[in-house]
Amino acid sequence: MTQHQVPPGLIGARVRRKEDPRLLTGRAQFVDDVVLPGMLEAAVLRSPHPHARILGIDVRAALELPGVFAVLTGEDVRAACATPQPVVWRMIPDQRMTDQYALAVDKVRYVGQAVAVVAAVDRYVAEDALGLIDVEYEVLEPVVTLDDALAEGAPLLYDNWPDNVSCRQTIPKGDAAAAFAEADVVVTETLTYGRQMGTPLETRGAVMSWDPFTDQLEGWMSTQSPNLTRDLLGEVLGLPVDHIRVRTPHVGGGFGNKFDFYGEEVLAALLSKRTGRPVKVIEDRLESFVANAHSREQRIEVSVAAKSDGTIIGMRGTVWAVLGGQLATVGIGPCWLSMALMAGPYDIPHVEATVVGVVTNRSPYGSYRGWGQPKANFAHERIIDKLAHELGMPANEVRRRNLIAPEKFPYPSQVFFYDSGNYAECLDMAEQAVADRGWAKRRDAAAEEGRSLGIGYSFHIEISALGPSKIMNQAGLQHSSFDEEVVRIDSAGGVTVRTGLSAMGQGIETALAQVAAQTLGVPLDTVKVLHGDTETNPFTGYGTGASRGAALGGGALLRASSRLRDKVLRIAAHMLEADAEDLEITDGVVAVKGAPGGPSVTMRQIGDAAYRRLDGKLPDGEDPTLEERDVLDPDNVAFSYGTTAVLAEVDRETGRVELLDYLLVHDCGTVINPMIVDGQIHGGATQGIGGALFEEIVYSPEGQPLTTTFMDYLIPTASEIPTFETLHMTTTADHIPGGFKGMGEAGTIGAASAITAAVEDALPELDLRLTRLPVTPPRLLDALTTATPKDPS
Amino acid sequence: MKPAPFGHVRASTLDQAVETLVAEDGDAKVLAGGQSLVPLLAMRLAQPTTLVDLGGLRELDYIRDEGDHVEIGAMTRSRAVETSPLVATALPLLPAALRHVGHVTIRNRGTLGGSVAHADPAAEAPSVLRALDAEIIATGPGGRRTIAAADFFQGFLFSALEPDEILTAIRIPRQPAGTVVAVEEFARRHGDFALVAVLGAARLDPSGEIAEVRLSVAGAANTPLRADAAERLLTGQAPTPDVIAAAATAVAEATDPAADIHAPAEYRRHLAAVLTRRCLHRLFAHAERSAAA
Ligand SMILES: Cc1cc2nc3c(=O)[nH]c(=O)nc-3n(C[C@H](O)[C@H](O)[C@H](O)COP(=O)(O)OP(=O)(O)OC[C@H]3O[C@@H](n4cnc5c(N)ncnc54)[C@H](O)[C@@H]3O)c2cc1C
Repeated sequence: MTQHQVPPGLIGARVRRKEDPRLLTGRAQFVDDVVLPGMLEAAVLRSPHPHARILGIDVRAALELPGVFAVLTGEDVRAACATPQPVVWRMIPDQRMTDQYALAVDKVRYVGQAVAVVAAVDRYVAEDALGLIDVEYEVLEPVVTLDDALAEGAPLLYDNWPDNVSCRQTIPKGDAAAAFAEADVVVTETLTYGRQMGTPLETRGAVMSWDPFTDQLEGWMSTQSPNLTRDLLGEVLGLPVDHIRVRTPHVGGGFGNKFDFYGEEVLAALLSKRTGRPVKVIEDRLESFVANAHSREQRIEVSVAAKSDGTIIGMRGTVWAVLGGQLATVGIGPCWLSMALMAGPYDIPHVEATVVGVVTNRSPYGSYRGWGQPKANFAHERIIDKLAHELGMPANEVRRRNLIAPEKFPYPSQVFFYDSGNYAECLDMAEQAVADRGWAKRRDAAAEEGRSLGIGYSFHIEISALGPSKIMNQAGLQHSSFDEEVVRIDSAGGVTVRTGLSAMGQGIETALAQVAAQTLGVPLDTVKVLHGDTETNPFTGYGTGASRGAALGGGALLRASSRLRDKVLRIAAHMLEADAEDLEITDGVVAVKGAPGGPSVTMRQIGDAAYRRLDGKLPDGEDPTLEERDVLDPDNVAFSYGTTAVLAEVDRETGRVELLDYLLVHDCGTVINPMIVDGQIHGGATQGIGGALFEEIVYSPEGQPLTTTFMDYLIPTASEIPTFETLHMTTTADHIPGGFKGMGEAGTIGAASAITAAVEDALPELDLRLTRLPVTPPRLLDALTTATPKDPS
Repeated sequence: MKPAPFGHVRASTLDQAVETLVAEDGDAKVLAGGQSLVPLLAMRLAQPTTLVDLGGLRELDYIRDEGDHVEIGAMTRSRAVETSPLVATALPLLPAALRHVGHVTIRNRGTLGGSVAHADPAAEAPSVLRALDAEIIATGPGGRRTIAAADFFQGFLFSALEPDEILTAIRIPRQPAGTVVAVEEFARRHGDFALVAVLGAARLDPSGEIAEVRLSVAGAANTPLRADAAERLLTGQAPTPDVIAAAATAVAEATDPAADIHAPAEYRRHLAAVLTRRCLHRLFAHAERSAAA
């Protein structure tokens, strides 16, 4: 099914991305390309201990090393900062906060926590100096795992807390206890999602320059949230924001990690203030594995109560969030979302879900593409599979029985209103596509040869277009979540869009240009999109995350461009002595509708009339210049959704899983550029595959991280991923101009659920339930050798 | 990830390289293709005073037919060995194994000598040397000496080379005509180091019995392993499934794998058996085909 809110044209066209020639030829500028006169480079000394008290730090030898300009410790940072590192998501009002600074002050609580920082002539000398800093630690017993943290008498990370629990919240909908009491069947599962992280090829980095005379702070940062960063820098450093300029060159992959606000940018700013020189700090890969936000790790207990026909009447769940040694910028946010979306796409009248945030001596838990949703998905899809197994029904039958029906939208879930969707149709389309591709035949033919192929499905929803600012504030967000866009036509008819969104490879320049070009009726290549400077670009609330850029930026730009088009038409009407109603703009030329070859004016002439030679052309009462801005603070978020289907092969002798084919049927409302959407889905799915089969941050029993290079932390590469097929349907978000929904995270969400289902399907005679991610070959081999055969009944 | 300060000597003769090693008294390191050493430097896991760069020593870059041997200079790039027609006919196991080393770009830089000197038990080239009874030629202040592969690999990243010796060449016996080879490797991803790899070369006699078989295993102990017991079980037998299964068990028993984050020891031992069986099946399927032809 396809709905249209805007006529098909450039919006909906598979046009090539404007940014690609620059990115693909290595000509894009990243933060490490920024070199300023007199610039110093910083390196951070990090804790080798998971849990220790700092007894003293001696930096004298480091300061004496030739080429070293400054060394800071935690005490210096605390004295220089107005507040600790901020936590912007505070959903749980009585949550215990960790209030940490960019450098540890009294205690270290994870390996890799920053303890001191050096600014020197170059990174080599800075690293040499790190070796000369002498830190005296009193080593404390570490709390490495969730169970360690919850154990009776566990060592405390925070001496003034009664235990290691930062927060706990239960959100009920209906009466779950009653539902479970009257159920025909109850199934329960405990799931373990591995610790994982986004690993952008460009690690994080900042160049900060503090002008000692004016107290102006100029920063170049690899961040997804330039305006948020500017506000948070202002809070932490006690500077008015008009003193702070944040510039974001191209961001070499964001993946959510770079939504968060880290200590290194604060350190570089303080070092610049101290030395009077610009300071660059670039995280190296080893650091990235401990200093960049970790994510995903949770234990989830989930149960559903159902009727014997498969109708689910109740759900209960608890998300145990394995937080790190301190709260990251987003606090409990992602784990809270796992709890809030645990019922997923299903119409379950009674739900009771809880989130418990537990601190451990691991790196902080922050944002990663998908936020809490891959875990929520794993919970609802695994339990659907188990229920189906219990009832002897196909899993998709159980899904169909419970998917929210189209007429039930807007649908009130535990927390959110889902805006629109045709869920069952999406599942049907996926099943049809799987049939068309002959997967079942392939599976059966392979079985004849003794090979084990399986087919798995999952259904996902994705919260996008975040979101109504005031409601988000009520939910605990210490920031806004609207988007502002500006569009201008210049004196020669060229179009410039200014956005506060970051370009991180997702194609936002192209998507925004398509929206402006179609709305204004101009060729795509006459539209330029500027981004990456808080001083000259508009204000994006939140940041370039939560799958909101194209939806909200696109929506705001659509409205701004529509008003600008109206002005263009009024000027043209005056020049052509026609009625504006009768005019249309095609390819940058304004003419009477349906009268090709008749009188016309070009965009260039309109620009001239609005900026230069106004007399006789610009109508009286019309202001010179051609510019509009718009702010979109939507009434609601928008929910995209999709079905993932996977054909996998299991090597029973080694436990290796190979993905043979991969299909996604997806709906994100009006599609601006299907090629970009496909690319986003493929990239997300690749990360989802990583999370399902390869990627895991591993700690030793002593709390040492063991995965600090790409030889240990295995991201799937081109050789490990299948080809992807993407099919689209369109159910518009009618509360958003253009009907756009976001989709940047989609691919990550349903991958693990579909892959585990496919693996189980490949081993049909075994009573095997995969509950732990990633499914590595040794784990799968172990599971399939210890699984009992299925009850033949 | 910036190395600690070090000196750099680009040797123009082998003697100069050895002299520099002697002068630095064990604190210098030889630099070949840098694919293993440079990451260690960047992580400051290696902090040599001086790098003795062999990059200028053209005389160590050759592949030479010496009749019953092929001699390969230490600085010959892995990719050059892999694509050499001489190696393909005389030592077919070597290119078959090298194809599993990292990616082409890494093999373009990495050298055969570097891979052998590095003595990683999961690396392919050392296992080939063990299987084929190769000899390693080392040059030090006292001149040249020859070390049998069986004596060369002594532990994890630990070989019989002295700190002031340079591995200059590798001599590998030419394999008889009719030798077929198979490499079964299990790595988590394409291009990763093997969790376990089993390398085999064999010949059948006209009656279909195994005239000669050579088997080695990478990644299953702290050195590359030669599977002598399995070879003995196989030699003179017809390659029946039972014989192959017995050989696979023998290989697994000979392993002494370590556990790491990628796999427990038990899993590696299990893989050694599975891969041996697969390797032998492929080998003898080839052999029968080539005997039939
Ligand atoms: C991403 C990646 C994947 C890889 N995957 C694999 C793989 O799957 N299998 C595999 O086998 N290897 C793999 N490697 C390692 C690669 O093959 C190395 O290049 C090789 O092992 C070392 O060769 P080199 O010439 O680069 O040696 P270098 O890195 O220069 O040196 C390695 C060590 O050997 C010493 N050395 C080198 N040459 C001599 C000499 N002539 N005499 C004395 N000492 C010497 C050096 O001092 C150093 O200690 C991989 C490397 C990378 C970066």
